[in-house]
Amino acid sequence: MVRNNRGHGLLSFFASLLLLAGGCRQRAAEYAPGRKINPRISVRYAKGFTIDYYEGYRDVSIFDRKAGRTDTLHYLLVEKGVDPPVNRPGLPVIVTPVERMAVISSMHIAMAEFAGVADRITGLGSIQYVNSPIVRAGIRAGKVKQVGIDAGINNEAVIAMHPGVLIVMSNPGTGGGTYKTLTDAGIPVLPDADWLETTPLGRAEWVKLVAALVDRDETVETKFDSLARSYRRLADIGSHASPKPSVITDMPFKGTWYVPAGESFMAQFLRDAGADYHWSDTKGTGSLALGFEAVAPVALTADVWINLGNVDSKADVAAKDNRFSSLHAFQTGALYNYNRRVNDLGSNDYWESGSMHPDLILADLIRILHPGLLPGDSLYYYKQLK
Amino acid sequence: MNGQLRKLPLTGLLLLLVLAFLLDISAGAVRIPLHDIFRILLAPSPGDDSSWSFIIEKIRLPKAITAVLAGCGLSVGGLQMQTLFRNPLADPGVLGITAGASLGVAAVLLSGGSMATIYAIKELSSPGSWLIAGAACIGAGGVMLLVLVLSGRLRDNVLMLIIGLMIGSITLALISIWQYFSNPEEVKDFLLWTFGSLGGVTGRQLLILGVTVLTGLVAAFLSSKMLDALLLGENYARSMGLTVRRARTIIVCTTSLLAGSITAFCGPIGFIGIAVPHLARLFFNTSSHRVLVPACCLIGTILLLLCDCISQWPGTQSVLPINIITSLVGAPLVILLLVRKRDLNVNAYR
Repeated sequence: MVRNNRGHGLLSFFASLLLLAGGCRQRAAEYAPGRKINPRISVRYAKGFTIDYYEGYRDVSIFDRKAGRTDTLHYLLVEKGVDPPVNRPGLPVIVTPVERMAVISSMHIAMAEFAGVADRITGLGSIQYVNSPIVRAGIRAGKVKQVGIDAGINNEAVIAMHPGVLIVMSNPGTGGGTYKTLTDAGIPVLPDADWLETTPLGRAEWVKLVAALVDRDETVETKFDSLARSYRRLADIGSHASPKPSVITDMPFKGTWYVPAGESFMAQFLRDAGADYHWSDTKGTGSLALGFEAVAPVALTADVWINLGNVDSKADVAAKDNRFSSLHAFQTGALYNYNRRVNDLGSNDYWESGSMHPDLILADLIRILHPGLLPGDSLYYYKQLK
Repeated sequence: MNGQLRKLPLTGLLLLLVLAFLLDISAGAVRIPLHDIFRILLAPSPGDDSSWSFIIEKIRLPKAITAVLAGCGLSVGGLQMQTLFRNPLADPGVLGITAGASLGVAAVLLSGGSMATIYAIKELSSPGSWLIAGAACIGAGGVMLLVLVLSGRLRDNVLMLIIGLMIGSITLALISIWQYFSNPEEVKDFLLWTFGSLGGVTGRQLLILGVTVLTGLVAAFLSSKMLDALLLGENYARSMGLTVRRARTIIVCTTSLLAGSITAFCGPIGFIGIAVPHLARLFFNTSSHRVLVPACCLIGTILLLLCDCISQWPGTQSVLPINIITSLVGAPLVILLLVRKRDLNVNAYR
């Protein structure tokens, strides 16, 4: 069982005492179930979570979307000083506002940065790859410690740190078996499934979950709304542009070419940027594992090749596989990689701040695919491989 | 065995080889009519539909040639190991050479910046295909040297086998440490590499693979007599005037060359090396290596070509990793053949 809060054990101890005394007074009247109140914010793009507001606490529902929104995880975000509602027993409780949090992925750093609470991060999955100046300063000062990832998570380090919450990358359907030691120790483990979203805005909207944890719901919503407006304005320009250049993405390795499936957020980016993407109508939210040959007819004639991976020049691309030099995009030089903002540690900001700035990524893609359509031509995350 | 009986399976296998090669060239995600394939193969003209000729010349043909080379090399390497150790379970990876190659590749793909030196390598050049192949060669070569040094101190081949297994075990443990501390993306790249692939070898790499494998095969064929003598036991071999230690060195070197180069370019391809020698003994009913070496080449090639055809079943856009197919399709086939034969030709090993 997940222990609700630290007071719970003591509470039940006294409750049993009262019971032993023969009274029925253990049903303490002051724990009236919170009244539902008007939502302070709304979740518009993300499909994986909702927040319901009650007096004194929030109820966060996280859906296992593969199970068709039936299988739901609940987390109670209870305000500091307020007792957890008695009518929701057994649910994990997170005391808000969270003062210290441990997070796993760079996406979480970006979300904390967006919500203005990057300084509250005390634990990181890996401290090797970080871009946020605040978090890097924290690492240098010894305030931010490494806690490990997935099965490699260092339980003792997390328990010693005792953060208000540990945010992990997880599929809500897989259960919390990996983290049982931590939940038993009273550390709430919150799964973040932003990566299952099918749109860039849907992914970024998970920031509202972090906002709720630190009680900044409205401020972050305002900031997110302006981001969403800016994204939609760009998408309106991009998706109506013509002609639409054909695009291929990623690079095959050992004969397998992973390309974004039609319902993935990358495919959505390409549609919004006005690209002709061959696999736009396929099913699936992840990527398709295709053979080199299946992609070759498309790749040979594609106008632009983006997201090439761990390469920095045309020579690097040819060194991976000399056949790439036969591709039309290679010959015309239309190779654009997302590694303009790689820092001195080798950490790529595209994966960090990029996940919270889909508008900047979209603007880059529109500038790549439709030069001259947007004012200015400087790219933010992308660069042309020479 | 007389030659007459042997010719029958030989002709059949040769025919099958040609068929399998053609099938492999014509199978794929993109449907290309057979006469167009022949046209492209025989008279490649620049006016062709460029995507078809690209697919045939740059994807399917190199892949089929790689399958031939890997099929020959792994089978013969397996045969040599089974003979040297007189053990039906030995394969080319038994001395830890494949694991050594994997260690080399892990060093390149899995560093995760944890080691300063490796990071410097990454800075110098992104892990291109040459870097991976080079690292695999260094890893395989390192393990081979270690095995050879140890083999100089040992008289017994069985001890050699056990030490080979131990070295492989240490190597895999080192790789596991690396995997444990690596990013999921890096682990995925490495995992894909361990699945094996015939598709990534082209141009000059194919030439290098061809030269090394052919050298290894010629060396294996020339040591047929030595292998025959070893089959009868080390004491008997000695009585025939064979220096066992020298023979062992030659065989280990040949197998390392074959398994090391193939693993470097294609990743660790399992099953072929262990199964094909059994099939060769079954079909040709002999223990003479003068017959078995070419027989292994034939059968190994056919099996790997067929597996490659299956891995890209027509109508599917995906290609399954070759390792999955060799085991999933090859193993039942071997079981079927062995059950029909009822008993293994035990004399072939002892």
